[in-house]
Amino acid sequence: MTSKKTIKAAFESMMFVWGQPLDVKEAAEIFNINWKDAYEYFKELQAEYEQEGRGIRIREINKSFQFVTAEENIEYIERLCTPVKHKRLSQSALEVLAIVAYKQPVTKGEIEAVRGIKCDRVIEGLQKKELVAEVGRSTAIGRPILYGTTDVFLKYFGFENLKDLPDIGNLDSLTVPEGPEDSLDLQQITIELPEE
Amino acid sequence: MGYKVKLNQFEGPFDLLVYLIENAEMSIYDIKISEITRQYLEYMDEMKKLEVPVAAEFMVLAAALIEIKSKMLLPRVSPDEDGVVSEDPRSELVEKLLEYKQFKAMAEMLQQREEAGLRILEKPQEDLAEYTGEADEYLTLDLKQFVAAFEQFLHKKKKVEEIRKHHVRTEKQRVTAEARMADISQFFRMEPDKTADFRELIQHRDDKYDVALTFSSVLELMKEHYLWAEQSYLYGEITIGATDLMKGEANDK
Repeated sequence: MTSKKTIKAAFESMMFVWGQPLDVKEAAEIFNINWKDAYEYFKELQAEYEQEGRGIRIREINKSFQFVTAEENIEYIERLCTPVKHKRLSQSALEVLAIVAYKQPVTKGEIEAVRGIKCDRVIEGLQKKELVAEVGRSTAIGRPILYGTTDVFLKYFGFENLKDLPDIGNLDSLTVPEGPEDSLDLQQITIELPEE
Repeated sequence: MGYKVKLNQFEGPFDLLVYLIENAEMSIYDIKISEITRQYLEYMDEMKKLEVPVAAEFMVLAAALIEIKSKMLLPRVSPDEDGVVSEDPRSELVEKLLEYKQFKAMAEMLQQREEAGLRILEKPQEDLAEYTGEADEYLTLDLKQFVAAFEQFLHKKKKVEEIRKHHVRTEKQRVTAEARMADISQFFRMEPDKTADFRELIQHRDDKYDVALTFSSVLELMKEHYLWAEQSYLYGEITIGATDLMKGEANDK
């Protein structure tokens, strides 16, 4: 049985070489250990890098881990070299992504119902960027395609997994209060009947 | 199906409606339908005046607004004494708008995270061939296959040579955008008050590259506020002239 210290060190080397997110299960198999233990080790490593304020951090994407640069160091990296500037996503792309992220698996029709406008091109673009993918077919009439977000999405927005998405209710104080219709009507009665 | 039309900054009819409601400082739970419908239709008229094709979806919402407006005219308080009110014709719209607003907020959250995400860099997967010794690919071919492959190579080479014989490859010294921009600037500096037709600026009219280069150079100079350009109708003549900035620089010299 290899010691925990050795395994953790090995994980570091493996992540270094692998570059892209290293699957925990794959890493665990190499040492023939339970993947949950391996996950624990990765998490420990991640915390250690964080605590020590290292310039390299460990990022989790859906039970995979990878070395990345610390966010605050981008300035210095940019001074050293000019990394490729990524085009930011358009407002419509972000809206569609938000809907897909929270409602997935979701059909194009459902997305369009929320936005009130056609989304074919936007979805196409997001698929090309691999932020959104087809995840199956709905059982509804016409068996429309269901869309979901990908690991690239998680990585791009810095989420560890989908549970990491902030609660939709917390973002907007305008969430419909309990019994939306009732309270709506109550408010409206008071206004609809003027004093005069 | 051509291109995407973006109406100002509105991502769709709901976006416009939410904007109008917030702009009028109305409660989303108590939309003054007639006022909002008026503003919404005004906006659509404006679009039509500007000859911007209005997406069908905008019409759909306009129709829905008018429908709600007409329903609002009907008495809504039911006669029974409990004061039970029949459903507000606006509630469906309100629910939709609330849902849309929520996702709009989520989109903003994603945008912030995108900003942060772009500040984090990763490395591509390393090429490990050097270490694993798989760098050189060994061909497992017998002699026959090898000879066949070589013959194919010769054949291909012969073909390419044949084509080369018939077509002379010309390679002109390609002008750079910087050089062209300098030429155009020079043109206008000589006579700052003159306007020119776009075609006058092209040096080799039958060379597509030259046309494109001239065009992009003009655009670049326009971006830098040295030139203005005018085209009165689609595919029409483009008239180009020097801006005050260019004239100022011309006079300085």
